[in-house]
Amino acid sequence: MSHDETPTLEFVREGLTRARYLTTARVETVLYLTLRLEKPLLIEGPAGAGKTEIGKVLAETLRTDLVRLQCYEGLDEAKALYEWNYQKQLLRIQADRGQELDWSAVTQHIFSRDYLFERPLLHAITAPRKLVLLIDEVDKADEEFEAFLLEVLSDFQISIPELGTIRATHRPVVVLTSNRTRELSDALKRRCLYLYLDFPGLDIERDIVALKVPDLEVRLRDQVARFVNNLRTLDLRKAPSIAETLDWARALRALGIKELDSAAVRQTLNLVLKHEEDLHKVESKLSALVAATVRHAS
Amino acid sequence: MGGRRRRTLEDALKSQILSFIDALRSAGVAAAVAETLDATSAVATVGLERAVFREALAATLIKDEAQRPIFESVFDHFFAVPKRARPRKGGHQPNDPEQTGGAGTAGDPTGLRGGQRPGELQSPAPLDRREARECAGETRAGRRLARRTALERTTFQEMSSREVAACDLLATELARRLRRNLSRRQRAAHRDRLDIRRTLRRSTGTGGVPIYPALRRRRPGRPDLIALCDHSYSVATASHFLIALLLPSASFFRHVHLYAFVDRPVEVSIEHGHLVPHTPLDLYARSDLGHVFVQFWEEHRNLVTRNTTVLILGDARNNRKPPRADILAKIHAAAARVVWLNPEPGQRWNTGDSVIGVYSKHCDDMLAAGSFHSLANALAHAFRTL
Repeated sequence: MSHDETPTLEFVREGLTRARYLTTARVETVLYLTLRLEKPLLIEGPAGAGKTEIGKVLAETLRTDLVRLQCYEGLDEAKALYEWNYQKQLLRIQADRGQELDWSAVTQHIFSRDYLFERPLLHAITAPRKLVLLIDEVDKADEEFEAFLLEVLSDFQISIPELGTIRATHRPVVVLTSNRTRELSDALKRRCLYLYLDFPGLDIERDIVALKVPDLEVRLRDQVARFVNNLRTLDLRKAPSIAETLDWARALRALGIKELDSAAVRQTLNLVLKHEEDLHKVESKLSALVAATVRHAS
Repeated sequence: MGGRRRRTLEDALKSQILSFIDALRSAGVAAAVAETLDATSAVATVGLERAVFREALAATLIKDEAQRPIFESVFDHFFAVPKRARPRKGGHQPNDPEQTGGAGTAGDPTGLRGGQRPGELQSPAPLDRREARECAGETRAGRRLARRTALERTTFQEMSSREVAACDLLATELARRLRRNLSRRQRAAHRDRLDIRRTLRRSTGTGGVPIYPALRRRRPGRPDLIALCDHSYSVATASHFLIALLLPSASFFRHVHLYAFVDRPVEVSIEHGHLVPHTPLDLYARSDLGHVFVQFWEEHRNLVTRNTTVLILGDARNNRKPPRADILAKIHAAAARVVWLNPEPGQRWNTGDSVIGVYSKHCDDMLAAGSFHSLANALAHAFRTL
């Protein structure tokens, strides 16, 4: 599909399936809305549920590139937008010193795109085609950065004093993710469509394991998915992510384990839980959990 | 003719969506005007097929997952599926709202195809505000939200013991919020001044031209905290929650000393979530603030420095004993700030044996802290200039 046609829900579905990303109907619908309405998408949810993946998957679906801006505390305009390459400019000036250049010639050289570090936002705006811009963990950045981001996302144009105003020829598809470590500003939330991406639930997780670890037995796959789902209902410091479920499934396959029992789980539990206190908590209830899982599994 | 019909359909749709948003507002999900416009344009773009329609409204109107159950409840009431939309055997059912899949057709802005009427998605009678509130009340999230706001505003004195137990969760959340505010303020205080020496040192790498400014790395000054909490019967609950709110933020202070008093100050520490006094405290003694100040000044005068913030929580009811405001004056002179938190409502200050008026001129701030809401606000205010 070319970029000029309006996307349809089927297109999004096919794209997600092709990218091997399984999720709920609601997520598919919201992704379709993002593409159709051309508004940024804000995804919140627990860590490891697949928020960052969505950026990659969207890029694959649209057959375009992904530009990723990872936010951290202290991220500022220079690191996100652009920065002049001072060293190169100085070297140029030194090199030109022999020739008697006048001021305009000098500035023409050193204030050109060659001497500019293009950071992700500028790169996304000036790209010759529609990209996917993933702004990851925007809750780690501070409020000033959010205000600046809001400005960029409203107009998709940037003023660089020496070069002029740069406008986007193709507005990128913008996806922001947040782990909810702090409340984002209302203005930013209002600018975006909102999606809460939770863990997918037993059926879909089972399908994900089937897709990514295909030669695992059906019964074991069901037990694995059920066990992890049960773990998530406990009050753990860090609930297991989908990636950890898949790691565990692969480990069980590698160890040749055909059926979940307390010994097998105890041996491999550290692939699923990454905190000492969580391991202790679960180990004390291990036999009960395993029994409940095996009982409900097909 | 068709154009006019289409226009009235669009208007009908728009007014329906607006009343839906109104219903949402009454149920507690606030949507600003910009979001209203977003919602209507979103629906105009994607059509009326039920699942997509629902998600379009959800993605533009709710900005917090906690509001989702309320949205679902109001949506299901407002756009109830009428009976005639159930699929019939054989025959042509072009727009069964139950079916998922299929987008609104392009070129038709309302997405209404021939057979479908807006009535397919119309509830028999639109919800009024009372019904909308009831909807919110029906969902667990709505009830939880309502209960929480009520709990936040109940005064400590009115709380039953069951409510006190329920407050622990609220206290944790408010404490977390206070901690976040303090940490943000502390980080903001890192805006430093230019360090000339280091800037010039750095400029040697760029040919003597100072391009990378070095900022003076100022170690943020953490204040000391002394909290004196009245544990007499009338205000014990408030004191308990003050400590619960302060504790998680203890790392933002350099030295923290907690004292409980009724008639004398007793240092307390927190072990396994319980308040443990270092020496026994008689909770049934009669309040004697004057004696408390005298003993505190005698024993712990050295703790009060220019860097100290002193918080006093109490109703200042002194049983007609001498208030010893002169000692409080000395504390005030030595400390950076003295803040008094009074759990009584303002009208009761200075009535009966309350001597708070005598103390007020030696306090930088005197704040009401009768409910969770006001206690949290008072703390935020007290620490605003940290």
